[in-house]
Amino acid sequence: MPEFNIDQFKKTWQEQAIQPKYNSDEIRLMLNKSSRNYVKYILGISIAEFLVILGMNFYYIFLGDDTNSYLNILEKLGVKNNADLIADLSHLYFVLKVISLILTGFFVFKFYKNYKHIKIESNLTKLILQIIKFKNTVNYFILANVFLIILYTIALGIFASWALSNQNITLTHPTLVGFYVGLLLMMILSVVLIWVYYRIVYGIILKKLGKNLEELQKIELGQS
Amino acid sequence: MVISKGVPIFRVGIFGKKCYLRFCKFLRVLSIKEKVFSQLIKDNQGLIIKVSRLYTNSLEDEQDLFQEIVLQLWRSYDTFKGNSKISTWMYRVALNTAITLFRKKTKSPQTDELMDFHYPDFIEDDDEKQQQISLLYKVVKMLPNVERAIVMMYLDDLPYRDISENLGITEVNARVKMNRLKKTLKELMEKHA
Repeated sequence: MPEFNIDQFKKTWQEQAIQPKYNSDEIRLMLNKSSRNYVKYILGISIAEFLVILGMNFYYIFLGDDTNSYLNILEKLGVKNNADLIADLSHLYFVLKVISLILTGFFVFKFYKNYKHIKIESNLTKLILQIIKFKNTVNYFILANVFLIILYTIALGIFASWALSNQNITLTHPTLVGFYVGLLLMMILSVVLIWVYYRIVYGIILKKLGKNLEELQKIELGQS
Repeated sequence: MVISKGVPIFRVGIFGKKCYLRFCKFLRVLSIKEKVFSQLIKDNQGLIIKVSRLYTNSLEDEQDLFQEIVLQLWRSYDTFKGNSKISTWMYRVALNTAITLFRKKTKSPQTDELMDFHYPDFIEDDDEKQQQISLLYKVVKMLPNVERAIVMMYLDDLPYRDISENLGITEVNARVKMNRLKKTLKELMEKHA
């Protein structure tokens, strides 16, 4: 073997043929690994919260029976529980449950339709837009449930006052106020809990995703 | 195009149509940027593949390093303003990523491990050339990390000024190191040829 000289190898080294391994799409996928993960978390959490609320809705629609507990409260206010009252309350619950069911059914349909559109392998831009659309459905679903809570509270409040006036019961001022304030507090508490949940879960993830996207935006501004 | 501080994704959609539209516009522009960048990487991937191959011992590690280098290049894309050559910028980022990141992960390869090292992506070249390149990879991979980088840039004809800048050493130091490396490589070649 002739004496080795690295300079003789330069040409061979530079001319080594390397087969391209990645196409543009594969390279684009590499760019957004971390952003993609946050987006996936949002998708996962959206699915989870949709399923939880869906489960709760189904539970109340098909299994839950709040008639008795509400009748007990009314009894404490002095309302006599006769067959008519029970039937009326059952009708009211039935109507509220049908409204919940229709609403839930509509959202299940929308949810499935948007979910089918999501393609994890599409580029980050498309993926984020798909997820935003999907997330919006979940947002509306949660918003609709908040309205349902308010609707339930109002309906039950009206029913109580209707039952009271029907049986000619005049409540003392503090008891009546206590009842309505309790009802109102319950409603506010439910709404606040949902709000707090939103701030915590999405606050953290979106802050991180926002940071990643800001980083990308900086590049954007630096180049333009 | 400016979007309000912290991408307002929280308010996107039902939280404000204006924000949503701005966000969409931002994403569209970003998409174009991604396209340009990925084309750039695609056209110059040979360089990144060479670096990845020099600093890893398995195909899986090689792919991981390739991805990490691409990510680092994307992050430093704004510092590259076309003042320097693309290849110089790519070298700097790729080698620094390989040296700092994979120093911890992979131990220096043992001579035995290199015997069955494979090069699946080489296009069938004539035999002699192929053998020379395989041998070159084999011996260069026996060198410590920084020395590997110096030899690679030297083989690719980068001027000493660029070599020293990319590694953060003085030009004189780079020359001295390369002269010593020539001797080391000669010994290794003779031993393993």
